[in-house]
Amino acid sequence: MKKGILPKIILVLIFAYLFFPIAATILFSVATRWSTTILPEGYTLAYYQKLFTNPEFLHALLRTVYVSTVTIALSVVLIVPSLYLAIVYYPKLEKFFEFLSILPFAMPGVILAIGLIQMYSRGPLRISGTSWILIGSYFVLILPYVYQATKNSFRTINVKALTEAALMLGCGKLETFFKVIFPNIVRGVVSAALISVSVLFGEFVLANLLVGDNYETLQIYLYKLQKADGHISNALVAAYFLVILLLSLLMIWLTFRKEKLGAKTNAES
Amino acid sequence: MSHVQIIDVEKSFQGKQVLKQINLQVEKGEFVTLLGPSGCGKTTLLRIIAGLERSDAGTVRINGRDAEDGAKRKEHNIGMVFQSYALFPNLTAYENIAFGLKVKKVAPEVIKEQVAAIMETLSIAGKEHNYPHQMSGGQQQRVALARALVTKPDVLLLDEPLSAVDAKVRENARILIRDIQRKMGITTIFVTHDQLEALVMSDRIVVMNNGEIMQVGTPEQIYHKPQNKFVANFIGTYNFIPGSLVGMGEATVCLRPEHIRLVKRSELAGTPALGTVSLLGRVENVYILGNTVRTEIAAGGCNLLIDRLNGYQGSEFGVGEEVGLLIEREACNVLAD
Repeated sequence: MKKGILPKIILVLIFAYLFFPIAATILFSVATRWSTTILPEGYTLAYYQKLFTNPEFLHALLRTVYVSTVTIALSVVLIVPSLYLAIVYYPKLEKFFEFLSILPFAMPGVILAIGLIQMYSRGPLRISGTSWILIGSYFVLILPYVYQATKNSFRTINVKALTEAALMLGCGKLETFFKVIFPNIVRGVVSAALISVSVLFGEFVLANLLVGDNYETLQIYLYKLQKADGHISNALVAAYFLVILLLSLLMIWLTFRKEKLGAKTNAES
Repeated sequence: MSHVQIIDVEKSFQGKQVLKQINLQVEKGEFVTLLGPSGCGKTTLLRIIAGLERSDAGTVRINGRDAEDGAKRKEHNIGMVFQSYALFPNLTAYENIAFGLKVKKVAPEVIKEQVAAIMETLSIAGKEHNYPHQMSGGQQQRVALARALVTKPDVLLLDEPLSAVDAKVRENARILIRDIQRKMGITTIFVTHDQLEALVMSDRIVVMNNGEIMQVGTPEQIYHKPQNKFVANFIGTYNFIPGSLVGMGEATVCLRPEHIRLVKRSELAGTPALGTVSLLGRVENVYILGNTVRTEIAAGGCNLLIDRLNGYQGSEFGVGEEVGLLIEREACNVLAD
């Protein structure tokens, strides 16, 4: 197998191709004017400054952070214990959860939104237009990710055997979950949370259709901004890209760190 | 009253009956092995004794008290070593071993003492601050054993704890477990599919197949007097020959490979001694099994295996050679089925 320079060139070209639009976006966000020349006419950070001091932006950011945090917290609190119970004590439930976890993929955003608006505009739960309907539908949206990450964590640590070992040593069922199981799956749960953050921060369709201007999230703000000012909206996109990049790196670092947890058993004495 | 009583236990999984009317008594301090092929129900039985599974029928009593319910587990103090060891990955060796004592709210100084003692006994002193992934398979196994033993359980259950370990470590581990068990006098139930392990370690062996107990006995009894074809086949190697070949009637007769004598063809002349049968055969194959030599011989229409200790001068008989076989009728067992 020849290890020529060709594969490397191809890789570089592909990455350049992928990064090109982002590079252009970042460049535009620091340009004073850039309409007729190959490179910007001048450079400035004024747009970033305008962006980060704009109260509308900050409020939108806060709303997104709030909705994401509540959704993720709710997800973890509901899904992790339920999945634990299913895997260890009620295996038939696990199959049911598996089915539930792929259900969200069957629903395109627009259809989901229309159905939700209809359902929650009248009747006992009139949460249409509020942040609650957004939280509810976001919960369903990230369900597959949280479920999968949690299930993998449980699998890695062989949760059934660990639970049984703890029970045999006299540990109660609740104590076992908090003292033995949870410390070993924290990393998986954090990973799930980070994936969820990047999904939710980028979610536009449901936010726009279900709440729109009533509850302006970051993505809705960005949408409006694009029509108003290209430079500032690009600044937002560039900043957003940077944040997601950092998040992804954090996730990769977490996942591939030298294994302290998990089922690895081979080490020299 | 026996220490552990298993009475009429039955269990089915998804329509398939995994345990059929199991009855067994284990005495205090006894080392009993549940031996059988995969799927015979031995692990299920162990888990029912542990309280991790519920039987469909029957009872399990430890010290006369019902042990079925998981909730009653705290009263019984059962120690268990799992096949995968199930060490807590986020705790050090010390913390793993101390876990059971901590749950019982034993005083920290006492915990320290007892953990140190058991670690010393199992030769893992010094590994207190190591995490499971920082230890070799053999060390992890000893931590798992220590964790189960430190609480001085009434009954010790071991679910194929030696299957994940390499041969040399396994040999030492067998002796270690047996010695500790004898020293501490803990009633022990051991599950394995390795018949050599069962023979070496047990006071009594319970041979199981398809959810039923095929035979219960000491290693000698199981080895020398198998009660049915399954046990004969499962423990060691047996030659099955038609009874007519050795003048013992029509039924099948079984004969251990080490109980057939091989002699040179020339020595076969003359009438054999009373009770001995002589046959003529041809060597088909010779295998070296470590300190025994196994010779495969075609004789009397059967393929017989003969085991002899490996002489330092090598195998006397070569492939294709004609040899004489001497069989004592006493060494042959007539089988029930």
